[in-house]
Amino acid sequence: MNPFPMVLADLRALRWTALAIVALVALAVAIGVAIGAQERALRRSSAAAADDFDLLIGAPGGQTQLLMSTIYLQPDALPLTDGRLLNALSKDERVAQVAPIAFGDISRGYAIVGTTAAFAGRWGRLQPSEGRLFAAEGEAVLGADVAYKLGDMIAPSHGVSGHAPRPGEVDDEEAVHRHEGHGYTAVGRLPRLGSPWDRAILVPIESVWEVHGLGNGHAPEEAGNPFWGKGSGTGETRAPAESRIGLPFEGQRVPGVPAIVVKPRSVAGAYALRAQYRQGGTMAFFPAEVLVTLYRALGDVRNVLVVASTLNAVLILAAVVLLLVAVAGLRRRRYAVLRALGAPRAYVILVIWLGMALLIGAGCLLGLGLGALATKAVSGLVEAQTGLRLTFALEGQEMLQVLLLFAIGSAISLLPALLSYRAPAVAGLRD
Amino acid sequence: MRPSASPEGPEGSGAGALQLSGVTLDHRGGDGRPFRVLDISELAIAAGEHVGLRGPSGSGKTSLLHLIAGLIAPGSGSVSWDGRIVSNLPVAARDRWRRETIGFVFQDFHLIPELDVEENITLPATFAAWRIGAAGRARAAALASRMGLADLRRRASVLSRGEQQRVAIARALFNRPVLILADEPTASLDTAHAQEVAALLTEVAAEAGATLICASHDIALLARMGRVIEIGSAVGTAPTERAA
Repeated sequence: MNPFPMVLADLRALRWTALAIVALVALAVAIGVAIGAQERALRRSSAAAADDFDLLIGAPGGQTQLLMSTIYLQPDALPLTDGRLLNALSKDERVAQVAPIAFGDISRGYAIVGTTAAFAGRWGRLQPSEGRLFAAEGEAVLGADVAYKLGDMIAPSHGVSGHAPRPGEVDDEEAVHRHEGHGYTAVGRLPRLGSPWDRAILVPIESVWEVHGLGNGHAPEEAGNPFWGKGSGTGETRAPAESRIGLPFEGQRVPGVPAIVVKPRSVAGAYALRAQYRQGGTMAFFPAEVLVTLYRALGDVRNVLVVASTLNAVLILAAVVLLLVAVAGLRRRRYAVLRALGAPRAYVILVIWLGMALLIGAGCLLGLGLGALATKAVSGLVEAQTGLRLTFALEGQEMLQVLLLFAIGSAISLLPALLSYRAPAVAGLRD
Repeated sequence: MRPSASPEGPEGSGAGALQLSGVTLDHRGGDGRPFRVLDISELAIAAGEHVGLRGPSGSGKTSLLHLIAGLIAPGSGSVSWDGRIVSNLPVAARDRWRRETIGFVFQDFHLIPELDVEENITLPATFAAWRIGAAGRARAAALASRMGLADLRRRASVLSRGEQQRVAIARALFNRPVLILADEPTASLDTAHAQEVAALLTEVAAEAGATLICASHDIALLARMGRVIEIGSAVGTAPTERAA
C-alpha cells in the first residue's frame, strides 16, 4: 500500500493547521536545544579561557571577584597583594612560571593589562600573529580584536569604578581620566584566543606601576627609562628605550598587584602552594574550583530552564495532539470513504499517523535549526558583551532530546489514528 | 487489489451473484431504543443485473448498500457472494473482498479535492500497491476518456459537479469491480447532469458486465434499471419487487 498520495492530500488540505503544528513543535524543540547547547558552550568556552590560569593568588577577598577580573577582565576594584611575593614565588622550586596581572586602565574602552612579556606569550605557547611581544616599557601587544594598528600610540586612561566602557569607543569618562603624558606604542598582536583577553592591550607591568606613580619595581639604575615623562603633563611621548622589564623585581620597590598567576611544576606543588598562600594575608585558589561552583549554579539555572522547557514541550505536544484529534474528527468522513472504497484499516491508520509524524518530524528539524540560530544569536550577544567566544555545536545530547520528542510525538499521534480505527466507517459516511 | 493490466475501457468478469438470507438490521434511535431498519427474508440478485433500490428517506436503502458492501454486519442472517458468505468474514478479509469486488459511487462524490483527476481515479490502487505503474495510468486515462474527462491533471476541487461524479464513477470502476454500488448517484446533480451520469453509469456497468445496485429517488435513473426493489418506510418492512 502507498499512503503518501493521501498523506500529501491531507497536508495540502490542512495547510495552515499543518504550518501551525510545525511551528509549535519547532518552538518547543528550539527552546530545549538552545538551553542545553548554550549552557554547554558557555561552560566550555569559559573553561577554555581559564586554561593558562592554573593558580591565582591575590589579597583576601572574593575568589569569584578575582577570577572574573583576572580571567574575564570584568572591571572591579580589587585589593592589592604584596608585590614582593612575585620574587618569592619566582624562586620557589614548586613554581614553573609566575606573572603579575594588573588592570584598571583603559584605552578606547579596551582594558590595559600589565603583566610580563612571558605571560603575554602565555609562557611560550603563543606566537604573535603580527609584530612581536613587548620588550620594553612603553610598548604594548594587542589582543586580536583590539582596533589599534601596529605602530599606533595608545593613550591610557584611568578606569573608574562603576564605569562600563564599550570596547572600541572613547567616552567622556575615559577622556576625562586620561593619564596625560603617558602612552604606549603597539608593537605586536596576539592570535585570537576566543577569550576576553582578545580585547585587552597587554603592557609591561612596570609601565602600569609607573603610570600610577609607583615606580617600576626595579632599582633606580635599572629604571632609567626616558619614555616616561616626569609628570610634566605635556602629553609629550618619547620613543621607548632599552630597559629591563620582567622578573625579578627589586625587593623593596615592588608595588602591590591585584593578582598573581602561578603555573606550578606539579599537581602536588599546586596544592602545596594553594595551601601556603591561603593564609598570611593572601588568598590562593584554582580557578577551576570557582568555575565548578559557578557551573553548579549555572547547572541549577539550566535545570530549572530544562524543566520549564520540558513542561513547555509537554504542553505544546498536548495542544498538538488535541489539534490532531480534532482534525482527524473533522476528516472522519474522508477516512470512511476510503474504507468504503476498500482501504484496509491499516491504510487509514498509516495515512493519519504518517501525516502527523511528518508534521512533528518537520517541526523537530525546523526546531533544531531555530535552536542553532538562537544559540548563535545569544552567543553573539555574549561575545559582544564579554569577548568570550562561545563555540556552538549540536551534539548527541540535543539529537537525543529531539529524537525523544519525535518518538513521543509520533507515539501520541497514534491516538487520533487509533480513534479513527475504532470508529465505524458507516458513522463517517452518515456524517 | 487486482492490478490494472490493460489500458482498455471498463470491463469485468460478470461473475458473481448476490444472495441475502434472513437479514435483519437494527439501528438505535435518538432515545437509545433499537428499531428495525431492514428485515429481508430472501433477496437474490443475479450476476450482471441492474437493480434499483427505491424507498422514502430513512427506509434503509443506504443501510442495505452498506450491508452488501460489508461496512456493517447484519444483526442476523447472511450476505453471500458467489455462494460464499461474506458478512461474517474477518474485517481484513472483508476489506479485501470489498476492494476486489465492489466499486462504490456516492451521492456527494467524495473525491479528494487536493488530488487531480488521475490521482482520484487511481486512489483505490494505492490501498494495495506502492506504485500505480504505466498500465494503471493508461487504464485511468482510458476510463477518464470514456467518462469524457479530457484533462487528467486538473484538481478535483475545480471540477463541475457533473465532472466530479464522472470522476467518481471512473474511480469506482478502476479496480474492475464486478459489483457496483451507487448511493443516490444523481441526487446532487441538476437534471441535465443527472441524465448524463445515469446513462454513463448504466452503460459502463453493462460494458463491464458488472452487477449494478443503485439506491435512488431518481425516476429517470430507476427507469434504466432492469429491476427496482421497493424498500419500505416502516419498521420491519421487507423489500417488495416490481419490474422496472
